[in-house]
Amino acid sequence: MSAYLSLAGLTRRFGSAPPAVDRLSLDLDRGELLALLGPSGCGKTTTLRLLAGLERADAGRILVGGRNVTDLPPEVRNMGVVFQSYALFPHMTAAENVAFGLESRGIRRREREARVAEVLEMVGLSALAQRKPRQMSGGQQQRVALARALAIRPDLLLLDEPLSALDAQLRDGVREEIRALQRRLGTTTVFVTHDQAEALALADLVAVIDRGRLEQIAPPEELFERPATPFVARFVGRSTAFAGVVEAPGRVRIGGTLLAAAETPRPGPAEVFIRPHRVQLGAEGDLPVEVTLRTYEGAMALLTLATPFGTLLAELPAAAGHRPGDRLRMTLPADALRVFAA
Amino acid sequence: MRGWLLAAPALLVIGLGFLLPVGVLFRISLNRTDEGGAMQADLTTETYARLLADDFIAGLAWDTVILAGGCAAAATLLALPLALVVRAAPPVWRGPLALAAIAPLMVSGTGRIVGWLAILGDFGIVNGALAMLGLPEQRLINNWTGVRIGLTESLMPYAVLVLLAGLGRLDPLFDEAAATLGAGRTRTFLRVTLPLAAPALLAAFALTLVLGISAFITPRLMGGGRVFVIATEIYDLALEMVDWPAAAALAMLLLVALAALLLLRSLLPGGQR
Repeated sequence: MSAYLSLAGLTRRFGSAPPAVDRLSLDLDRGELLALLGPSGCGKTTTLRLLAGLERADAGRILVGGRNVTDLPPEVRNMGVVFQSYALFPHMTAAENVAFGLESRGIRRREREARVAEVLEMVGLSALAQRKPRQMSGGQQQRVALARALAIRPDLLLLDEPLSALDAQLRDGVREEIRALQRRLGTTTVFVTHDQAEALALADLVAVIDRGRLEQIAPPEELFERPATPFVARFVGRSTAFAGVVEAPGRVRIGGTLLAAAETPRPGPAEVFIRPHRVQLGAEGDLPVEVTLRTYEGAMALLTLATPFGTLLAELPAAAGHRPGDRLRMTLPADALRVFAA
Repeated sequence: MRGWLLAAPALLVIGLGFLLPVGVLFRISLNRTDEGGAMQADLTTETYARLLADDFIAGLAWDTVILAGGCAAAATLLALPLALVVRAAPPVWRGPLALAAIAPLMVSGTGRIVGWLAILGDFGIVNGALAMLGLPEQRLINNWTGVRIGLTESLMPYAVLVLLAGLGRLDPLFDEAAATLGAGRTRTFLRVTLPLAAPALLAAFALTLVLGISAFITPRLMGGGRVFVIATEIYDLALEMVDWPAAAALAMLLLVALAALLLLRSLLPGGQR
């Protein structure tokens, strides 16, 4: 089966600066949810705007359901967009905002009203249909924006930082709602975020973008456990980075310590990343370490360890009760190390 | 207290330059003109009563309001596309474009009218072009047509200024949102741009209406002595007829009418924005 959404060599330049989106290629199946993850200014919002037709591509192609939409203007693309600031029309009620896209499509009043009611019901806002945006909370406005985008039964739902304008307390709830709604409607969705926790929790596939280029596209777990590039290893999740040397296949030396690694590039200088949650501590182990700092984080505690090859972060259940000054033994599983040629 | 001190120079200017003359004017309007045409000190509202009962003055007031209303509406509608273009321009161009749109303010009113004479006069550019095309000559100056054209043009920069300041609610993002929802340019303009611009349009209309009603130079110079409005009548009363109480009373009536107009607008819904 060929992909529902397919980007091939998508490029967008602004003036003489390096391309904002640089030969971006990726595929997404129907009904899946893709997160575009990256630091601010990495080109993820520009990519979303290219999908919506709000930016013109300098090169490359966008296929949606086999249709080439690359050169279509936004009004005929049928993409539901939820803008970061929602962009609700301030002079219209929630219901009028939702109806706007249906009016533009020439849908008759009777069906229009039925669909507006249905979509508002779906986002739980039936009671507030006659409110103006300024009479609603941020979370409610966000749902109106979502309802407005969904009402047109879009080929693609595009969300720009959908949770960034919400309070931290609201965020988790809205995140689950978006996920449930997207599953139920089966709408293929692309959303942009700089928050890796959001991307990992919400998406079927996460595309990490840096300086306009795709670094890696993978399901959340694979992305987290098996980052494909140093950038992804650094950007997604916590890790401690070391400069090392690959001595032989499966053998990495950091300082004077030789460690086993599951996968290694060709022998030579290397960058080594170790995830804190993969560090094992106990009375038995390969290396002597000392706890120098403990940061309590609720269920887990983040420990700073002095090891023979340098300072290393470890994440362990807080209940284990480690204290600064504790001298322990550490084991590093071979697949806890991600090694990249430097 | 300190705030008052900072406002003192402005208050002084307003007091000496506006309130004091208005007070003097009001005092004069209560005087009386005797049969010989000389002003006699008095305290009478007789002049007001006479002016308010005068059909000629009522006709002038009507003509003035119709002229100013039409020109204010035209200036506001012509200024809207200009303001929208300035807003939609890349940031680097916005300043220069806005400056260009209000550049007529930097030319003296008289200079501008001399320019219009060259364009609209019997041997001006427009009639020259019409003659070349074999079309009949149009009388575009020294009549109401000339005043309408000139007044509309002179009001436009003010309308642009007010619109540029007042279109803040018009985030370009709304255009993008409308486009993604399938709305073409016309629908977006009618359903989104225009309703959001309405308060600014109303403000621009109100200001240009007030300016148009009190306009003197344009009706005087482009009307060629054939166009009479309240402002030219005040001038004629004061300097031709030398009936100062009447001129002063008419000026006071105009002032009150304009103040009432602005007050009314600020009381209308959306007027406070």
